[in-house]
Amino acid sequence: MAFLEITDLTKRYGAETVALDGITLSVERGAFVVIIGPSGAGKSTLLRCINRMIDWGSGEIMLDGVAVGALAGPALRRHRSRIGMVFQHYNLVNRLSVLENVLHGRLGAMSSLAGVLGLYSAEAQQEALRIVQMLGLEPQLYKRCDQLSGGQKQRVGIGRALIQNPALLLCDEPIASLDPNAARVIMDTLAGINRTLGITVLVNLHQVDVALRYAGRIIGVNQGRVVYDGPPAGVTRDHIAMIYGAEADELLIERQVTDVAA
Amino acid sequence: MTTLPPRPFSGVRWLVRTTLAVLALLTIVAFATFDSRSVDVGKATAEFLAGFQRLLLEPRLENVTFVELLEQLAITVALGALTTLIGAAVAFVAALGVARNLAPRWLSLVINSVTALVRAVPTVLWVLLFAVSAGLGSVAAVIGMSFHSAGYLIKAYAESFEEIERGTLEALEASGATWWQIVAQAVVPSSVTALLSWTFVRFEINFSTAIAMGAAAGAGGIGFDMFMASGFYLDLRELGAFTYAVLAFAIALEWFATRTTARIHRPG
Repeated sequence: MAFLEITDLTKRYGAETVALDGITLSVERGAFVVIIGPSGAGKSTLLRCINRMIDWGSGEIMLDGVAVGALAGPALRRHRSRIGMVFQHYNLVNRLSVLENVLHGRLGAMSSLAGVLGLYSAEAQQEALRIVQMLGLEPQLYKRCDQLSGGQKQRVGIGRALIQNPALLLCDEPIASLDPNAARVIMDTLAGINRTLGITVLVNLHQVDVALRYAGRIIGVNQGRVVYDGPPAGVTRDHIAMIYGAEADELLIERQVTDVAA
Repeated sequence: MTTLPPRPFSGVRWLVRTTLAVLALLTIVAFATFDSRSVDVGKATAEFLAGFQRLLLEPRLENVTFVELLEQLAITVALGALTTLIGAAVAFVAALGVARNLAPRWLSLVINSVTALVRAVPTVLWVLLFAVSAGLGSVAAVIGMSFHSAGYLIKAYAESFEEIERGTLEALEASGATWWQIVAQAVVPSSVTALLSWTFVRFEINFSTAIAMGAAAGAGGIGFDMFMASGFYLDLRELGAFTYAVLAFAIALEWFATRTTARIHRPG
């Protein structure tokens, strides 16, 4: 059985809106998977089902042999603490320092009281420092996060996920709010984490060109269904049209697809 | 030159203009019809100004010593501080149950309706209400003022909590943090400045209420001395001294509040 198995997952918002319409896919351990698709295709919902931030209607998710749908209470907390999550808007506590925000990733593994009091172990603090150094943020260690640039904030977000020592990293539009240079740094960082630490990475992206460059595998989603699932090299113009609709800007896409093919 | 097209009729504008016109008319009618036969306006104004002069320019103590004045001021400050503290402690916990990004909807609705009711009744009425069981005095004042403080601060705190972005809470929840951990590690650090400044505002309110309660509810403190000086000894000069004492404390409090919030707000 694969590391992550999603079977016939269906999720509706209200009676009308179908966010996920029978999604079935499996991901091997250590894969770097990029999910592309238009806004509202269900990409975010899919990611949030994996760590059960959202409950779904029917279907099942198995992560590392554990049925995610049945989890509750402390077991659900433990499940979430093994999955890191990175967000488009970083979602840091802006008033706190880089170090404190990175340490937040440890809360899920601590007793509730120790977490409330912020009593992080010496080992956790060492680990936080090591991660901050690895992400090149050591000069900002005690800086408040509202003084950082977008790219730096996102690196703090990645640090917070990494200190969880996660088996899986979920990234929801991690570069959508960043300029091209910062976006590159973030994507390189994610690729490096996948390569050197062996963490399985699932990334939602808007940018087809970035997806094709970094992904080991592309999953194209449209209206809650998987319409493409395969290597980046196999993505054709027809696939792009299926994922983004026939009106998708050909000027933008044609060049990128042919670039990869060439 | 072309003329602008007429402005479309606006109900709000019409209402504002009509209200202003009616108020202007009432003012004119009122001044024209005042019964002022027994009042000599010139003499009254002169006496009013003389009173003010005694109050503000010639303050001195007569029936209490300076040490006693400080003691009484301390009692009033203590009444204000104690009721603010009790109110703040209750409000912090209750506000967590009100903030829509932290609490279930039903709980938020229940606490909100109760506190709206508490707030709707003025502080003085709460004190008088508790005076029925506790007797007129400091106990009734403390309970009554705390009650209204809590109601006020619950609303203020809850709104501060609701300012926090949902995403920040989501991020910690997704990493497996418990609700109390999220409150302590994200909600409090994000809203501490707002909480402090609301608490200081309430302390200012409670300080002035404590003065009034000293006179009206027999809670003691500088309010009672002011009541005696004005109503019993008819001593405007001593009342002036009390007024300056209150003013000095209010300014000191304002300075302290501004400095404290600024220090917390300053990025480190």
